[in-house]
Amino acid sequence: MSSRPDIPILELSGVGFSYDRNEPFLSNLSFSVQNGQFIGLLGANGSGKSTILKLATGILKPSTGRIHLWGKSLHEYRQKDKAKLISYLPQFLDMQIPFTVSELVSMGLYPYDILPEMTADEALELVGLREKSGTPLTQLSGGERRRAFIAMTLVQGAGLVLLDEPLVNLDIKFQIEIYRLLKDLQMKKNISILMALHDINFAMQFETVMLIKHGTILGSGKPEEVLTKDRIKDAFDVDVTVHKQDSGGMAIRYTNGPK
Amino acid sequence: MPKVKITILTLLCLGVLLLSLFLGPTSVSPFSADPVEKEILFSIRLPRVIVAFLIGIALGASGAVLQGILRNPLADPYVLGISSGSAFAAALVLVSGIYILGKLTIPLSAFAGACAASVLVGIFGWKRGNLLPERLLLAGIGLGFLFYSVMMLLVSLSTSEGMRRTVLWIFGDLSMADWSLIPYGIVFIASGLVISLFRAKALNALILGDELAHSLGFSVQRERLLLFIAVSLMTGASVSLGGTIGFIGLIIPHVVRFFTGANSRYVIPVSALCGGAFLCISDLIGRTLLAPMEIPAGIITALIGSPYFLYLLRRRDVFQA
Repeated sequence: MSSRPDIPILELSGVGFSYDRNEPFLSNLSFSVQNGQFIGLLGANGSGKSTILKLATGILKPSTGRIHLWGKSLHEYRQKDKAKLISYLPQFLDMQIPFTVSELVSMGLYPYDILPEMTADEALELVGLREKSGTPLTQLSGGERRRAFIAMTLVQGAGLVLLDEPLVNLDIKFQIEIYRLLKDLQMKKNISILMALHDINFAMQFETVMLIKHGTILGSGKPEEVLTKDRIKDAFDVDVTVHKQDSGGMAIRYTNGPK
Repeated sequence: MPKVKITILTLLCLGVLLLSLFLGPTSVSPFSADPVEKEILFSIRLPRVIVAFLIGIALGASGAVLQGILRNPLADPYVLGISSGSAFAAALVLVSGIYILGKLTIPLSAFAGACAASVLVGIFGWKRGNLLPERLLLAGIGLGFLFYSVMMLLVSLSTSEGMRRTVLWIFGDLSMADWSLIPYGIVFIASGLVISLFRAKALNALILGDELAHSLGFSVQRERLLLFIAVSLMTGASVSLGGTIGFIGLIIPHVVRFFTGANSRYVIPVSALCGGAFLCISDLIGRTLLAPMEIPAGIITALIGSPYFLYLLRRRDVFQA
């Protein structure tokens, strides 16, 4: 997809949504994702991270406002064409599905009639699963399965990748591995990534974070600017201290954690 | 799936077809010039084998599709209540003895019953514009029980002749098979099979989950509805051809996955082929074992299928084959 730098890849303007007619879940939400951005969407459980991602993919329909993908209204796209521009990996994946790794990854090519830029083999190479391409997913470790699903999402070749908590339930080793892999791909392929997460310390790795609470953006920008003591208290209802580290990064310590 | 495997499997199925054509209580030689043997072959044996094969195709493919769209390894056409609805309508005709459309009364009423049951299951499975797998499954089980119990009530109230024929129908009876219903069966079963095969990619995506299927470019509700219609066409036609025949839709797709993997592109056609061959063998056993008495093919498939089903229950990991 050729992209014009002046047009945001994804733009939500005044978006409202409710699961229950009487109680709005999101109201007047506006933000945009620019070409090549890697944004961490941070918030507590139930803050609206997954809802925002589902609205952006068109799985959920906004009750008010507009969502534009590459300058065009989301609902104007044919489903198959949209799948070439935006790919989405949900938080809850059925880990018992019966396919092999290569069968799963190849499904990322379904929106295409002709082969796109990245092949299934290339994606498997990138996530380090080439050797296991014929292995059933049920025989992989949790981290390997996640990587297989990420490979499928990447094969889709979309310029915007939405990931809902892809690091959840993974050991810290796999979390770092997957984050580095995504960061590397974002740089090499110039794709934009919007990734939901709830680990505040992990969010410090991102260049851009967006902190949300009840579907409202509390702050957006560099983590050290956004993740202040007060905002974290507001978003997560915990008291923290923020420490600057010798390496230049920041660390969050909880001061009223479980006793 | 390697081409060699497909070729071997196709040849095996063809072999089974030929065996069930020429073997039976009376063995028939393919080269015989005897008019009686020719009559047996073309008027009795050939339509019966074709009907068995068609029903097996329909049930094998329906099972493969249903296990995918419901994301449930125990799903088959009976779970959705389509077969029970179909059998109920046929039983109504058999017990009442009113044949308004002559010979076509039973198959057409069975097909109408399948369509009505599909619509009912669809209505109960529909919520807020979505056809939900869990609701479909529960609606199918509930309606299936209802149809079955009313059918049993009809049987208990009927005359002995009506009851005997109804019971035969419930257990799948191929002894009445003739050429008259074959063209109609081919049209409906082929339509359902073609829809299923063309939507095999969508079915794979649905197996991953609705949200991933959406992300991969499929309109989830449209695809599920289309595949549900395909299953209704195939199941309705199969029940009207030979009554309710159990377990093919359940076991065949599982056995097939051991050989082909889970890709629906292979599972659907190979399940259809193997379902056809399995019913031909079951029918061959049914008409040969206690000849001249016949055991309905549905009883043979259930006798083989039930122990296998229990074996699957004990070893749930085989669902991941």
